[in-house]
Amino acid sequence: MKDKLKNMLSSFFISVTLINIAMLVLGRLLRPDQQFGYEVFMYPLIYGLIGMIPALIVRDGKELTVRQTLIREAIRMVLTVVLLVAFIFGGNPIEKDTVITAVCVAVSVVIIYVGVVVIGWFLDKKTADQLTEDLIRFQEKQQNL
Amino acid sequence: MEINIRNIEPSQKEYIEIGCWRVNERVNEIVRFIKLKDGHVEAYKDEKQYRIALSDILYVESVDDKCFVYLTDDCYESRKRLYEFEELLPSENYLRISKSVVVNLMKIEQIRPALNGRFLCRLSNGEDVIVSRKYVPEMKEKLRGDRR
Repeated sequence: MKDKLKNMLSSFFISVTLINIAMLVLGRLLRPDQQFGYEVFMYPLIYGLIGMIPALIVRDGKELTVRQTLIREAIRMVLTVVLLVAFIFGGNPIEKDTVITAVCVAVSVVIIYVGVVVIGWFLDKKTADQLTEDLIRFQEKQQNL
Repeated sequence: MEINIRNIEPSQKEYIEIGCWRVNERVNEIVRFIKLKDGHVEAYKDEKQYRIALSDILYVESVDDKCFVYLTDDCYESRKRLYEFEELLPSENYLRISKSVVVNLMKIEQIRPALNGRFLCRLSNGEDVIVSRKYVPEMKEKLRGDRR
């Protein structure tokens, strides 16, 4: 449980950072003249929290293979896109401009989601390399007993 | 420490005797090592019974209330439960890495990241077994040992 929480918090903060970057890039491209108040600082946190919901809903009861994990991640990603697009654009009239913005947001969410997974993978790679080094040392020690 | 090896008659039972002032951790370590080399487990394949040396086991997996013992090229079924294997296999070299797998640490060649904080162990026969997130701290502790 502690590890799961740690993992989720790590994903959350990576997401928030990437959402900030995405908001900067999308804002510059689509609405360069738009002005915001201080409440805008809350948005990455809210979007980050919404992005965590699929991780809480789609849970694994048993140990998944790598392929099953990839499928589960794809399902979570689609759910995240749907939730965020519904949260940001839900209730707005469907116009061409809104659709373009929604598509850009959806693409950004996909990029952010993949980014979070890739960054997580690189962090795990560092741990795995350390574990392999420790393993070699452990095996040498056991063989020399 | 003096080491004596004495030849005995083929009809006699082989034995190992340790002469020591007191049984300390060093002696226990030697005993565990000998037990590992000498230990075996009964397992079945095609309704035939086999004796498998513990040191040959790559990993033991529990699937639907059945336990399977994996060697380099073979797989045998065992009537023991996974927790019984955990007790039987020497804890120095074997480690539980998920709800259903106990692995021989001496047979792992490399550890790689899987997704979501899990890891893949590449075994000496090329097979991969998954280390669950829950068991990663235990593995780190075991492998780091007295290096911490």
